Amino acid sequence: MMTPGELKGVREPRIYIPLVTLTLIFLLVLLTKNSFYLNLYFTIFMFAGLSSAWNIIGGFGGQLSLGHSAFCGLGAYVSSLLFVKYGVPPLFGTIASIGLAIVLAVIIGYPCFRLKGPFFTLATIAIGEVLLLLAVHFKGLTAGSEGLSIPFKPSFVNLCFESKTPYAIVAFCFMLITLGVSTWIKRGRLGYQLVALRDEDQAAESLGVNTSKAKMMGLIISGGLTALGGSIFAQYVLFLEPHSEFSLSVSVNLALISMVGGMGTIVGPAIGSLLLIPLQEFLRTWIGGSFQGLYFVIYGALLILVVMFMPRGIIDFFSGPYKGLLAKLPVFSGKPDAGGEDSRGKALPKQVGMIETIRPSKTDVILEVEAVSKKFGGLLAINNLSFSLNAGEIFGIIGPNGAGKSTLFNVLSGVYRPDSGLFKFKGQVLSGIHKSHVICRLGVGRTFQLVKPFENITVLENVMVGAFCRQGKSAEAKRLALEVLDFVGMLDKKDSPGHSLTLADKKRLELARALATGPEILLLDEVMAGLTAYEIGEAIALIKKIRDHGVTVLLVEHVMQAIMSLSDRVMVLAEGSKITEGAPQDIIHDSRVIKAYLGEGYEPAEA
Amino acid sequence: MILLQLIVNGLLLGGIYALISIGLTLIFGVMRVVNFAHGEFLMLSMYVTYFCYALFGLNPYFSLLISVPLMFLVGMAIDQIIIRPLRDAPSYMQVFATVGLSIVLLNLALFLFSGDYQSINMPFAKETLAMGSISMTYAKLIIFFSAILVSAVLFLLLKYTYIGKQIRAIAQDRMAARLMGINLNRIYMLTFGIGTALVAIAGGLILPVYYVFPSVGVYFVLTAFVVVVLGGMGNMAGALLGGFIIGVTDSLSGYYIDPSLKEVVYFLIFIIVLLIRPSGLMGIVGAEEMGMK
Repeated sequence: MMTPGELKGVREPRIYIPLVTLTLIFLLVLLTKNSFYLNLYFTIFMFAGLSSAWNIIGGFGGQLSLGHSAFCGLGAYVSSLLFVKYGVPPLFGTIASIGLAIVLAVIIGYPCFRLKGPFFTLATIAIGEVLLLLAVHFKGLTAGSEGLSIPFKPSFVNLCFESKTPYAIVAFCFMLITLGVSTWIKRGRLGYQLVALRDEDQAAESLGVNTSKAKMMGLIISGGLTALGGSIFAQYVLFLEPHSEFSLSVSVNLALISMVGGMGTIVGPAIGSLLLIPLQEFLRTWIGGSFQGLYFVIYGALLILVVMFMPRGIIDFFSGPYKGLLAKLPVFSGKPDAGGEDSRGKALPKQVGMIETIRPSKTDVILEVEAVSKKFGGLLAINNLSFSLNAGEIFGIIGPNGAGKSTLFNVLSGVYRPDSGLFKFKGQVLSGIHKSHVICRLGVGRTFQLVKPFENITVLENVMVGAFCRQGKSAEAKRLALEVLDFVGMLDKKDSPGHSLTLADKKRLELARALATGPEILLLDEVMAGLTAYEIGEAIALIKKIRDHGVTVLLVEHVMQAIMSLSDRVMVLAEGSKITEGAPQDIIHDSRVIKAYLGEGYEPAEA
Repeated sequence: MILLQLIVNGLLLGGIYALISIGLTLIFGVMRVVNFAHGEFLMLSMYVTYFCYALFGLNPYFSLLISVPLMFLVGMAIDQIIIRPLRDAPSYMQVFATVGLSIVLLNLALFLFSGDYQSINMPFAKETLAMGSISMTYAKLIIFFSAILVSAVLFLLLKYTYIGKQIRAIAQDRMAARLMGINLNRIYMLTFGIGTALVAIAGGLILPVYYVFPSVGVYFVLTAFVVVVLGGMGNMAGALLGGFIIGVTDSLSGYYIDPSLKEVVYFLIFIIVLLIRPSGLMGIVGAEEMGMK
């Protein structure tokens, strides 16, 4: 997980500060004797770990699950039942817990990931409830509502101890594991894919992200870790009861802790736990005894206030000062860091790696479309359309609104399945694939007419999502993304968040992302619409440059200046059918074309 | 014969579920807010009715005249204070906010009224109407017909009044509705108020046959989610149909399978409906993604 370059980074404050902090926390645990505080530490670490686990799918992936009690409860019950009924020590039983949690994740994920927003949330609640009810019902197995007592047999393999210190250490290790896994995911390919699909799932698909697989991986890891936590927790309380283990309030608590700390960040959930758990405990001790429920009123009210006034979580307040602190702290290095591994603040290595994958051969037909039709209800959006694309050319498509241009792109990029006909890319039939990420990986990239930047990540990270299509490692994806940004002339904006860009830059970002996937054909859907004359000039130059590097371009555009100056050939569509096809100069004088655009009676007099 | 009695019981129970769900589906359909505090609104209105009875001896049917307008105001106030700032926030923020509200209200009730189960003693509620071998309590019959009446009235209001047309316009397209000069905030506030008032009707009517306690809403709200999704989020007739289906399912599976598994059965139905037809039985296909991102 750590490359040699990163290990060397231990001398940098961004690495050593977290390490020092964690060490101090660990020392604090070792030095504490008071069981009230040890119990508090245990609870904080457990919820930090559990919320971090939730955050992998809920925060990174934006899939708001309120059914994580299912994993937690399953983990707790499986390892405890194996212990109570068969004498399997819980340390080994947790392996079964994790295994079954993974099975459960697949069972939940396969159907539920087709649902969006609140519907996904409701489905996960229902699954949590079903497990709760089943645990109550099958008394023979779980002892039902009476509860399951776990015998107190202190031993390491039983994860059961005489004093609270080892418990706190186990919980601390659990937290370290989840934080480590979170960091590894967030910095790697899966993390970028999850964030991308959270912001714009269709765009993510078009960049080669298998969104179903990424979500499933996220849920499996998240569910497995949650089950591990549930299993450890069970050996601490030594008593299980369905209404507490599987209750909706467990799931809600995990989500709320993440939200308060900072959803989608690595340390947010841990910070949330550090703040909320002591708050819960102290409120409970101070006012809980005498006034039933009052502490939860305060707790709930605080949550509402956080949602309303700190939607990004408490971490948002700390991240600025923290970065300032890091900048002031010294870098402990034996000798000045000469490594060019990190590109921050340095000139970029000029490379043409991006283009290496592409071998143009201008005479070959690269894409053949044969008699493709696509219907929406009674509307024939594309009618028996055939054309072919030669490698290395720019092929323009024009036509009035509603001619079927965007539908054609959606068919070619696998968003829609054609009703009839087929299309071949380098001789391979793609029309049956109907999966954007597969088509992208095969070498057909696209942009969207209505731009879909990933708004909450930077330009560089946006492009890295595309780069991960061909690169497995973050460092390589980053290098490729930087090259592409240099190529399209956006290097100066690499750290701007996606939402802050102008329309022209968003369109350029679309191009950069698609280029980073290493396409052989690029489908450009009105990349110049809404741009100023100057910006159009820049875009034309850029598309030429892309073609000169061997990428075949299929260009849908209303800007005639672009079509005329860029296209080798132009096809005209109207009402889903091809009107004509030919050299740009011939097309614009064609009376059928003028009729399609302007209507009857506008044909030139001499025609 | 027992089957017929079970179906009747199920339909009567379904009336309760439907009546509770109508407000939830209205709020979701128009505002795209899944109100997790809906069950607590039910609980609050039950307490209002209960205290009207316990302190002033008011007949629960009569105290609807107090609880419904009161909850309408409460709903509008909560909309303005909590929901309004989050109108354009991602849907999960609204989920968190209403969950927080639900925690506050539930525990406030626990703090103020204690966790004891309260009920009112109304002899009328226990009287039954016997038709052959089938028997039904009057109180549940009243709920049943109220559910039908309320959804019919709401349907007509939405269809024929100006405010109803504004509400429907917003449900279809916020932006276009705003451009047509509809005051979005005002209509949202009214919608949330109406949704809350509708659950107050349910609260008042079910008090004669149910206990009230602080977490009573938690049980009902999960069922209401099932009903609403089953019928189609935002669809009044769908809520009615969904309520009856879940009521009958509840009654039959409680008898033929196992009382402790009846909820499993309808949660499974819920998941299956979500997967096969997320727009619900009567919703428009694709409507589940409308206005949502």
